[in-house]
Amino acid sequence: MANIHIKTALDHIRRSPFQALAAVMVLSITFFVITIISILAYSTENAIKYFEKRPQVIAFIKTEVSEEGVMQLKSKLENDSRVTDLKYVSKEDAHEIYKQITSSNPLLNELVNPTIFPASLEFSLTDLSAGEALVNELKSEEIVDTVGLTTNLGDEEELTKELERLRKITWYLRLGGGAFAALLVSTSFLVLLIIIGMRMTSRRGEIEILDLIGASPGFVRVPVVIEALIYSLVGTVVGWLAALLITLYMREGVVAYFDQIPVLPADSLSLLQIFGLILTGEIFISIFLALSGSLLSVSRVRKRR
Amino acid sequence: MLKVRNITKTFGNISALNDVSFNVEVGEFIFLTGPSGAGKTTLLRLLLREFRPDSGQIFLGDEDITKLKNKQIPLLRRHIGVVFQDFKLLPQLTVRENIEIALAVINLTRKDWKPRVERVAELVGVEDRLNVFPSQLSGGELQRVSLARALVVNPQIILADEPTGNLDWETADKIMELFDLINKEGKTIVMATHHQGIVDKLNKRVVEFKGGKVTKGGLTSSELKEEKKEEEPYGDDLSDDVNLEKNIEDRENINKEANADDDGLIIENRSVKKSSKKKTKTKSEE
Repeated sequence: MANIHIKTALDHIRRSPFQALAAVMVLSITFFVITIISILAYSTENAIKYFEKRPQVIAFIKTEVSEEGVMQLKSKLENDSRVTDLKYVSKEDAHEIYKQITSSNPLLNELVNPTIFPASLEFSLTDLSAGEALVNELKSEEIVDTVGLTTNLGDEEELTKELERLRKITWYLRLGGGAFAALLVSTSFLVLLIIIGMRMTSRRGEIEILDLIGASPGFVRVPVVIEALIYSLVGTVVGWLAALLITLYMREGVVAYFDQIPVLPADSLSLLQIFGLILTGEIFISIFLALSGSLLSVSRVRKRR
Repeated sequence: MLKVRNITKTFGNISALNDVSFNVEVGEFIFLTGPSGAGKTTLLRLLLREFRPDSGQIFLGDEDITKLKNKQIPLLRRHIGVVFQDFKLLPQLTVRENIEIALAVINLTRKDWKPRVERVAELVGVEDRLNVFPSQLSGGELQRVSLARALVVNPQIILADEPTGNLDWETADKIMELFDLINKEGKTIVMATHHQGIVDKLNKRVVEFKGGKVTKGGLTSSELKEEKKEEEPYGDDLSDDVNLEKNIEDRENINKEANADDDGLIIENRSVKKSSKKKTKTKSEE
């Protein structure tokens, strides 16, 4: 039975190829844009996470301070809600880090005394706007020598600005992209509605015959729903595939440009996994579009009869 | 099998059927005859529940089909085989698929389709035409396919609305022989026709309609002729011819009104709907 419905749906597509093409093209554009917006949202989100997660503040401890004193400050910071990813780097740890960095030049390593390395407390901020106050608080701590920033974006103020800008871009991208995607989805929905409505009107005679031989409303609906699903799924795959190919083509350049900032995964498998997730989501949207569009259209046409 | 009890149906101020009653027994073949606009097709459409009667009952088996809910109508129609004057085949499907679609509609498993289709195709004589499209068939063949589609679901009853209306005399004769054969195999058939020659040849029971009423309901064609000879020894009822023009006009009106019926199962003519709305408005304004 399904074969008859599929055949009917394919017959209808074959008989009016331009309608089918129009539907597929509109849906392809919609899902292409949705895929691109999703990838951009992923990239900006990753960029923000990158800046937020990396240690932003380092409080260097005075050399004469005992480990007990440092632990007191550590425990104080651990209880501070503005602080996250707190790490204590002892003098020995600092020496180890130095040795690793200078491993290519043993002479440098031999020349330094391990005791000159200060212990430090490194941490990130949950909210950069609280950074200034926290840094000032740390500076007033007796055991703290200096407070520094690990970022290579410049000073603390500049980092805050950069992150704010990045957040704004992400917000605008999500808002604008979401609105644009919603507009395109609505257009696709309307196109499906119109095309399926036209199909139902052109099938009037056929539907009348089916009604007379005892076809249930579901039997009449199935080929129309299948047709809408074909348009929708083909449109989705075409749009998604186009976005994937463009991203694959541009990936190397983008990764190289942003260097350490992981705006796109460096390996193809991870990238494909992300695209797979996007495709899954899009297929759900696409099925919803096809079902709602076709069923609404069928019910409207049958109501008029 | 089929009991029609005091059926009345009006479309606006036109009375299409007026207190119509008759019975059809299992395995019977009856003709509904009468001039155009007499109410034959309206009755068939009531039997198919395209719309409800204003009053009266129609029993198919033990069930009063006038009381069926809309969602039960497809189930009713799966027990009725219908043959139309204009064949009503789907042009994009082959003959085989046109017959198969009736089986798909009743949800029969696909593996059972082939033997059933081939059996009915052989019965109606289109077994060598199964893979061609309706556009490649003659009128007689199209009607055979239409009959095969009606028969393939093994219906309780076959309703045929002027099945020979679009056929030449010779082809019509062959189609009628086929109907007769099917009836002899035990199928109940109700056929609306105004081809008196066909009715006379098969000599089955005739329910004669005139102006929406049953005028004769229990005699065979030959018995009817005898009775008419006794009633009118000088010839046919001339009033039929006088009323023909009016009947045609009435029929057109009936069809328009039927399309505006509130049942919602048949295609509404939107222009008719609009004009009726306008009329209502004008009346209320007045």
